[in-house]
Amino acid sequence: MAFGGVVALDKVSISVGADELLAVIGPNGAGKTSLMNCLSGFYRPQQGEVRFNGAVISSMGVHNIVRAGLARTFQGTHIFSNMTVIENIMVGRHIHMKSSIPSAFLYFGACRREEMRHREVVEEIIELLEIESIRHQPVGSLGYGLRKRVDLGRALAQEPSILLMDEPMAGMNTEEKEDLARFILDVREARRIPVVLVEHDMGVVMDLADRIVVLDFGRKIAEGTPREIQENPAVLKAYLGEGNR
Amino acid sequence: MDPAGVFATSFERDQALVRTRGQWVALLLLLIAMIALPHVLGPRLVAISTNMLIMAVVVIGLQINMGYAGQINLGQAAFMGVGAYATGALAIKFNLPFWLSIPLGGCAAALFGFIFGLSAVRIKGFYLALTTIAAQTLFHFLILNLPQSWFGGSNGLTLQPAQIFGFSFVSDTSIYYLCLAVTAAMVFGAYGIVRSRHGRAFVAVNDDDVASGLMGINVVRTKATAFLIGAFYAGIGGALWAYYVRFVAVDQFTLFHSIWFIAMVIVGGLGSITGALIGVFVIKAIQESFVTLGPSIVAQFPGLGGDVVFALMNVFLGGIIAAFLIFEPRGLMHRWNIMKRSYRLWPFPY
Repeated sequence: MAFGGVVALDKVSISVGADELLAVIGPNGAGKTSLMNCLSGFYRPQQGEVRFNGAVISSMGVHNIVRAGLARTFQGTHIFSNMTVIENIMVGRHIHMKSSIPSAFLYFGACRREEMRHREVVEEIIELLEIESIRHQPVGSLGYGLRKRVDLGRALAQEPSILLMDEPMAGMNTEEKEDLARFILDVREARRIPVVLVEHDMGVVMDLADRIVVLDFGRKIAEGTPREIQENPAVLKAYLGEGNR
Repeated sequence: MDPAGVFATSFERDQALVRTRGQWVALLLLLIAMIALPHVLGPRLVAISTNMLIMAVVVIGLQINMGYAGQINLGQAAFMGVGAYATGALAIKFNLPFWLSIPLGGCAAALFGFIFGLSAVRIKGFYLALTTIAAQTLFHFLILNLPQSWFGGSNGLTLQPAQIFGFSFVSDTSIYYLCLAVTAAMVFGAYGIVRSRHGRAFVAVNDDDVASGLMGINVVRTKATAFLIGAFYAGIGGALWAYYVRFVAVDQFTLFHSIWFIAMVIVGGLGSITGALIGVFVIKAIQESFVTLGPSIVAQFPGLGGDVVFALMNVFLGGIIAAFLIFEPRGLMHRWNIMKRSYRLWPFPY
């Protein structure tokens, strides 16, 4: 993956197993977000491919990748701020809903039954994320930590078979980080799906991850358990430079 | 938010539009008033009401397209015109009954609108507005230049009254009821569409099209669908217009009309079906009161001359729109919601 002369990702090969929390770390400009964008279909890699459950998804459109079972949360907030919390999470159910425009025109009957069925699923997610009290508030009026929680809820509503999280903790205070970390663990427990996490906060990464991949200048420089990574000389060099130890 | 003491006990109740007994009473009273209207008011007010009903359908279409899906559309009058002409041609040439020609008119307009929806896929905002003006020009050009035997060219189309079981909708009262029934159905449908997954997809695409792609929403198809539905509503409005005036001509559907429709959406409030209805009522009422008051103003101040007074009407209405864009860009519906909320929370600030 290259932008003009800048090689954002160079021969990076990663894999994530079922029910595994893989963290991707690296200094600024290492290519973490580019990797995320490749995985979720926003970028088309010039070489190589992304495979998911055996199917090549790097040539599919974004919305088709989502339908194949991949969900993603964003760095910063890409949330529908004019909608309420419930509506936001209901949008996540979009791929599971089928009602046609004529049946929506009539509304009562099939369309309403479908809405109610999915509303129940949404309420379960709201309960899991403990956002019951704000369910009818427009997301634009919520604080940052809560928005991120809605973002996670929206991704969960898609019932993904893999969840990508791009810097979920960026810009949060300690309390919000702890909350979100707890929710990530809850989600893993409840859903048993693999999670790929890009994160800067080393404390969070070391505590949560089963396995860590380290990127630097578009290359994978290390891979292993948190303990191995902490002692890996290449990683220390990338983060701290040489001669500082 | 609900008033104190009203709690939803089921998901159905929680998303219901009519939530309190007071609202049910108000809705019922409104319906009774609408039904009783032609027997109470004079013929001129009935004509204005019929006009409002027809415009309500068109403006709701624009609301879905512009207020919900965020696709600026300056061609709504052209879509309405396509509906009117299609209905007229079908009724005259093929003798179709009105209950067939009206929906078919809507479909014809939807098809025409869909073409412009496809262009909305690639362009946004200001450029899209310019492109939809092309709908207006194209409509004019086609009607005037296609063979006269098709759509009557510059002579327009003259329709027979709508008929069913030997009853024909000739009188103003009967056509009012026809429009009322169709408009009520279309309003009902609009509330359904915007509450369904399609309505949510529209708002999502409007808010953030990157994120909506990641929700599995097909952004391209959603934008085109918004145009399709908006134009369908315009076509239905045009079809009603054709049966109401029983004469269809190109100068009834100009860019000027399109801009008025947008003004109604803005004054009423973007992103609200009720807001669209309020916008139609307010703007149309102001327009009509100017028309009524104009001659008496001229009589009072003969020095002004009729031209100046009627030119001032446009200046005044334009001023209203500008004022709304500056002071209340989210429309009357937004202000109403704020007032309702503070009333229900009183005496607490939040």
